[in-house]
Amino acid sequence: MPADKSDILQGTLDLMVLKTLEAMGPLHGYGIARRIEQISKEALQINQGTIYASLVRLMQKRWISGAWGTSDNNRKAKFYSITRAGGKQLNTQAENWERISAVIGRVLRMAGQG
Amino acid sequence: MLSWIRTLGSRTRAWLWPDRVDQDFERELSTHLDMLADENIRQGVPPEEARRAARIKLGGVAQLKETNRELRGLPFIETFFQDARYATRILRKNPGFTAVAVLTLALGIGANTAIFSVVYAVLLKPLPYANPDQLVTAFQANTQEGVPETGVSYPNFEEWRAQNHVFSELAGITAHQLTLTGRGEPSVVDTCVVTPEHFALLDVKPLQGRIFYPEDGKQGAPPAVIVSEHLWRGTFGADPKMLGSSIILDKRPFTVVGIMPAGFRSPFLNTKQEVWIPLVQDPLFGNWMARRGGHWLPAFGRLKPGVSIARAQAEMDAISERLASEFPAENKGWTVRLVPLQKEIVGDVRTALLVLLAAVGLVLLIACANIANLLLTRATARSKEIAVRVALGAGRSRIIRQLLSETAVLGMLGGMVGIALAYGGVQVLSSLIPGDVPRLNAIHVDKLVLAFALVLSAIASVAFGLVPAMFSVNSNIGGSLREGGGRSGESRNRRRARSVLAAAEIALAMVLLVAAGLLLRSFSKLTAVSPGFESQNIVKAEVSLPQFQYSKPQQWTAFSDELLTRIQAQPGLQNSAIAIPVPIVDGFINLGFEIEGAAPKSSSESRTADYVSVSPEYFRVMGIPLLSGRIFNQQDIASAPRVTLISKALAERYFPNQDPIGKHLNFGFPPNGEVSREIVGIVGDVRDTSLGNAPGPMMYVPSAQAPFWGADLVVRSTLSTSAVAAAIRQEVRRIDKDLPVTDVGKLPDLLDASVSQQRFRTFLLGVFAGMALVLAATGIFGVISYSVSCRTNEIGIRVALGASRSTILRMILRETLLLTFAGLLIGIPCALLASHLIGHMLFGVSAHDPATLVAVAFVLAAAALLAGYVPARRAMRVDPMTALRYE
Repeated sequence: MPADKSDILQGTLDLMVLKTLEAMGPLHGYGIARRIEQISKEALQINQGTIYASLVRLMQKRWISGAWGTSDNNRKAKFYSITRAGGKQLNTQAENWERISAVIGRVLRMAGQG
Repeated sequence: MLSWIRTLGSRTRAWLWPDRVDQDFERELSTHLDMLADENIRQGVPPEEARRAARIKLGGVAQLKETNRELRGLPFIETFFQDARYATRILRKNPGFTAVAVLTLALGIGANTAIFSVVYAVLLKPLPYANPDQLVTAFQANTQEGVPETGVSYPNFEEWRAQNHVFSELAGITAHQLTLTGRGEPSVVDTCVVTPEHFALLDVKPLQGRIFYPEDGKQGAPPAVIVSEHLWRGTFGADPKMLGSSIILDKRPFTVVGIMPAGFRSPFLNTKQEVWIPLVQDPLFGNWMARRGGHWLPAFGRLKPGVSIARAQAEMDAISERLASEFPAENKGWTVRLVPLQKEIVGDVRTALLVLLAAVGLVLLIACANIANLLLTRATARSKEIAVRVALGAGRSRIIRQLLSETAVLGMLGGMVGIALAYGGVQVLSSLIPGDVPRLNAIHVDKLVLAFALVLSAIASVAFGLVPAMFSVNSNIGGSLREGGGRSGESRNRRRARSVLAAAEIALAMVLLVAAGLLLRSFSKLTAVSPGFESQNIVKAEVSLPQFQYSKPQQWTAFSDELLTRIQAQPGLQNSAIAIPVPIVDGFINLGFEIEGAAPKSSSESRTADYVSVSPEYFRVMGIPLLSGRIFNQQDIASAPRVTLISKALAERYFPNQDPIGKHLNFGFPPNGEVSREIVGIVGDVRDTSLGNAPGPMMYVPSAQAPFWGADLVVRSTLSTSAVAAAIRQEVRRIDKDLPVTDVGKLPDLLDASVSQQRFRTFLLGVFAGMALVLAATGIFGVISYSVSCRTNEIGIRVALGASRSTILRMILRETLLLTFAGLLIGIPCALLASHLIGHMLFGVSAHDPATLVAVAFVLAAAALLAGYVPARRAMRVDPMTALRYE
């Protein structure tokens, strides 16, 4: 069984994938990985393979759907797009994320003052 | 929740078609690689290098595929199958171990399942009627006179029906035997005598024809009869014109209006139930319908929907109070007792069956402990394998799961063989079950029983699998790896666990053996008890007279006199007598009596005694001693002064320090209740209710002064039973060719049959205790032989240092005894507790009978020593050189 330690990281990656798909429309795995790296200003150098575990999880939950298509330079690739359920999920998770990060930020600042 | 289900769905799909999903993913990855490489090339990296960098960036393809498979598939199921396959392979490699484990388990599961199917059919399965939980029995009770439950008089029954608002219907039912003539040999049919509501209340459909209508129950209605499918197919050869035809019962024609299907039985009558007639048509009970005083009609009813039994009881209490004030002479002190029908039917069989179930449960526990022990032994032998697995990174839960899969495979195999055994066991049990166990439901292995067996094997496999699995995982890896195969590498914990298991087996076996020992002693006392008469060489036969033809007591007397004279004239049959009822075999008739001239009894005291009507020869034939006074003689006839003989118990209880001879008692069989009779003698006590009950007060009257509509013949003869029966049949036919002779049998056999329930449970518990003993001994054997093989080295050193063989033998036997004593120490209080529970089943033995305890302890210790002796001898023969080289 996969270990549970990286839960937060997994969840974060899933959220980023969802957001990317919402912003960019249908994309293939490489495109998603590339986009996340670019947006994060190359601060987040992910092992690109891990994107696929995230995609499988999101597919299983029906938050994204996948279909085979043709890429810009004529390669067969699987394109993922966000579903309506995925959109809703993105909203709630994004809110959650903002709230938690705000709370964590406050706590950390407070600890710094103390 | 929903997303969880979706995930499972998608995973299942991927699990079912793994190849397609795999190929898909591979294509996706290769595209990704190409794209990465393309980008690198665009940045000016040489193609070779570009691809390598791409691969690094993406991560290991094989690893990704593995993760993907794990994410998409159903890893739990996959690993289970993998484990099960592995387990099967391992088990096949150790056929001896597997066979022993599976057989032990199968015995436990099979025995449990077989007993459970009986328990289920008798105790748990709903009665085979519509809405059975609405059915209750309505009996009368009188606490002042110590009558716990009896029937109701017909006039009272009518009042109940008319006045209550809680029953949708009430019906009465009783049994009778009628003579069926006109079809070959005259025969006796077991008749259910019912009020016409009976069938409608039970909501049953006839196979053919109709059920009884209310008109059938009216006075003067044409006699109607419903016959059983069995009688129809048997005696009447499935006659297609049966409906509407007429059959002769007790010399009177009845019109057949219906045929009941073979599966149908009226509740709480354990007779054969061959025909049903309306109460008003019964030659005996029909005449009693007008009398309010009797208590002879058992009644039952169907509660209206939503009415609780408590509410019904309250209403019936009110009705009986009204009846008591309206008819105080007949109804004062009488109340109504409502009991759910199922509870009433099952009665005291419940405890016996539950005890048996508990017993087989213990056997299964012992079996599980045994297998756990075997597995612990193997786990020790495999500790290196497991240590290697742990060292290679197998998770703790993963290893436990694998070990449990092995036991699950064992459990399932055991369960399957067990179910097969159960099928056989149920056959055997069905034939062994005594006739008086109520069986409205047929006993067979059905779906619920199978489910029980499966659950049982699952629980069992976890029970015996978990302990060894836990131990395997918790052992010290480094130690196991170093020790190289674990010959001397058994950890102390594990050794203790094995000893505890073996001791627990002894303790459990002790519980079973003590219970079985007590029942066995009780049973042998029961069968050895003197009933107060000599049953050897006595043949009993019954002739009952149709009441339509033989309606007057004078006819009854004339018939019995002639019959007895004719039989006594036969060579070898001089020692014949007539008696009703014959003790134990026929049951008993309990009547109230008054002592003339004595102070009136207080309301709490009841004077009752068992009543027997006999011919003068009876006491000589049965060997019942005369203690004082005289026996009846030929002068005690109907026109002579009434006389009676009382039993020793009656004399002692009601005439303490007095001579009862010459005093008068007032009693009689209804309707002649108040007849003054002079006591002319005292005879020895007889156990007339059952072998297990101490003799109570009895009073005998001469049959000439108290005739019955039939006769029970008792004949003491050295001739064979069949010869006696043939002679009796021949003489009866000479008097009246239409009279059947029934219930012919040797008295010792009939007495034997009266303890069939006791024999049944004693036998079964004995078998289970035997199984427990063997299993426990096997357990000890396993522990000791394993201990010996672990200590081969140590023993070798001891021998080399000069220990004698007997020292070694003693050393090993001491270990055995230590285990045994530990087991006995735990076992004794448990056994005492358990025997307390079966205390009320015992006869003539205390539940804490020390002799049984000691004997059982000895048997167990002996069995354990024997089991320990075999490996001890092996230890004794250890050659020090071999043992030391072994290392």
